[in-house]
Amino acid sequence: MGGFDFSNHNRNAALHAQGVPLPKATSTGTTIVGCMFDGGVVIAADTRATSGPIVADKNCEKLHYIAPQIWCAGAGTAADTEFTTAIISSNLELHALSTGRKPRVVTCMTMLKQHLFRHQGYIGAYLVVAGVDPTGCHLFTVHAHGSTDKLPYVTMGSGSLAAMSVFETQWRPQLDKDAAVELCSQAILAGIFNDLGSGSNVDVAVITADKTTLMRNYITPNQRVPKQRNYKFPKGTTAVLNEKIITKEDISKYVTVHELEDDSKTATAEVMDVDQ
Amino acid sequence: MAAIFSGAPPQGGPGYSFNQTPRTAPSGLRQHHGFYPYTDNGGSTLGISGADFTILAGDTRSTSGYNINTRYAPKLFKIGGEGPDNKNARIVLSVVGFAADGDALKERLDTIVKMYKYQHGKEMSVAACAQRLSHILYNKRFFPYYVHAILGGLDEEGRGALYSYDPVGSYEREQCRAAGAAASLIMPFLDNQVNFKNQYEPGSGTGHDLQAKVAAPLPRDTVEELVRDAFTSAVERHIEVGDGLQMMIITRDGIQETLTPLKQD
Amino acid sequence: MTQTGMIEADGIHVDMEHLKKGEVNLGTSIMAINFKDGVILGADSRTTTGAYIANRVTDKLTQVHDTIWCCRSGSAADTQAVADIVQYHLGMYGITNNEAPTTQTAAAIFQELCYSNKDQLSAGMIIAGYDDRHGGQVYSIPLGGSLHKQPYAIGGSGSTYIYGYCDANWREDMTEEEGIQFVKGSLQEAIKWDGSSGGVIRMVVLTAKGAQRHLYLPDQNYEGPGKQT
Repeated sequence: MGGFDFSNHNRNAALHAQGVPLPKATSTGTTIVGCMFDGGVVIAADTRATSGPIVADKNCEKLHYIAPQIWCAGAGTAADTEFTTAIISSNLELHALSTGRKPRVVTCMTMLKQHLFRHQGYIGAYLVVAGVDPTGCHLFTVHAHGSTDKLPYVTMGSGSLAAMSVFETQWRPQLDKDAAVELCSQAILAGIFNDLGSGSNVDVAVITADKTTLMRNYITPNQRVPKQRNYKFPKGTTAVLNEKIITKEDISKYVTVHELEDDSKTATAEVMDVDQ
Repeated sequence: MAAIFSGAPPQGGPGYSFNQTPRTAPSGLRQHHGFYPYTDNGGSTLGISGADFTILAGDTRSTSGYNINTRYAPKLFKIGGEGPDNKNARIVLSVVGFAADGDALKERLDTIVKMYKYQHGKEMSVAACAQRLSHILYNKRFFPYYVHAILGGLDEEGRGALYSYDPVGSYEREQCRAAGAAASLIMPFLDNQVNFKNQYEPGSGTGHDLQAKVAAPLPRDTVEELVRDAFTSAVERHIEVGDGLQMMIITRDGIQETLTPLKQD
Repeated sequence: MTQTGMIEADGIHVDMEHLKKGEVNLGTSIMAINFKDGVILGADSRTTTGAYIANRVTDKLTQVHDTIWCCRSGSAADTQAVADIVQYHLGMYGITNNEAPTTQTAAAIFQELCYSNKDQLSAGMIIAGYDDRHGGQVYSIPLGGSLHKQPYAIGGSGSTYIYGYCDANWREDMTEEEGIQFVKGSLQEAIKWDGSSGGVIRMVVLTAKGAQRHLYLPDQNYEGPGKQT
């Protein structure tokens, strides 16, 4: 049986009673929305992750994959949205394999709500579930305590009120795809600019019967202005009290060393933005 | 017989009265409406003094919780001078924290500096104004102005003067100071770039003999660039900082004021 | 948490309405009545999280078998979970016994769940159904998990405002038209006075002919559109 390990609970409670604060979880302060249109469904999210008043990640991904035609936007505790969607994605794929049918959005929604209800709100995942399956297009919200709603347009997260004000003034029935994408983008922008918990860019996913299109950073309205000064320090600025050189020959006793083709390139996966 | 029919519980022993049960809902379950007169309105300020100038800067966003009250609420105020527009003022006060207390504090100090001129026929010196501000703050020692104040001007020798305060009036003259929400982000940057902390002269020695880079007053345009970079960077990583950057540069020619936009997310 | 009970001048009050922090609440006005040919269930459509209306067109009338439905009040998560479990049990019952369950059976399953988990749930339910053996029946399960068979039942925060209205206007063996007017009139009053009730009025009419949904919108003065296809 899977599940959580509660063996540190008593220790943590004792620590907390002595005044040790709880560790701060990264929360996706977030605006997420979803909207149905003729032939499909759109979901969108901002890309700011916060830890208290500090921006933890300026460009995080809040649109999670569940199945090829089912996607999920997550608000609340970042770790909870990531792990909850991941476990349901895994179980849904096994379910699809054993039944030999495409996974349904209601199945996904039911698995999510039962998982979250079982944990009585302690898993802080607030989700917008959207997808297309053989029974049609679907859009749901799932709250952390396990309640669900089915609506033609939905918003969640700290920016949900700002986003809902856009939907409640602009939404109309029988939208086409482009209008739905535009409406969702506007709703996210309302969250980005009016809610401090939301910010940076707009991510959009469009799901139709034949394909899913993930438009990462669909709108980037918050590009950083270039710095006025150069903060590159001349070599030798930092004091060196001790120096030890480990040669390639020494280290290759323990690990495999690969020669880079180009000295100017580093082997990092994601390049950090630094002053040149 | 009377005792049998008496509904009263036996005296002295454990009572069955409801008098011991709480008459109000216990706190935590339902909201207890205690009055808390302070709000944190976020935002950040910073001041740097140079050889013959002082720069004060602050963002113009005012927040409460996750909401923006306004995108333009100045945190920099001219003190003294003439009329409601403080013409020809030579002192600037910046306040960050609880905006209502900041406004009240500004009004108090401004009135005092103006009254000083009417009564003595001369401008108040920055040093005198700085000490007076400390007294105003300490006067409310047990119901403080919930602000971090920075006062800037030129001293009697014409050098840049900068004073920073805690909420109850402890103050100090400094080269540079950041205050408010993003102070912990900006202050280390200032230590490094203004006072050259953790910077050494390359090749000036080995080990402990390495010579630290000596801090000297920076030219005005360099300081202006540092201030802009400090704020554009703070906006990137602090949610309560943004919308606009207000700067006041105090020189012998007066106060020059600028407003530049910052990101609005 | 030490004590939840508190005393006012009029006696003991135990705060059972409390929800966990941030939980979605069905502020709610719900009711179900018996009439000549069966039962009618009715509900408002407002779901709240604090002062925010999380859903203004909620469906609080939930089907748990062909002609057995329930009205949900209290925590949205708890009542959905309970209704889902009951739906599962009644489905199994119908298949294994090759006979539809009675309303009483459904109500008993609801009671079992609500009573045995009473310290973890905030769910106030009204169960109404039609079966060929007993005709229409209405059962109420308030917060503690007790079960009450009643001619008509009202529930949720809005119900406190309409005890007088219902008492004054209730008659046995109303026609369908009279029953709908009774439910609609009661819920209109509940919505008017209760801040946590609002939106549209939904109804379900359960008779020998099956289930028929009704919808009444505030922008049509709760007069239409009526029967749903």
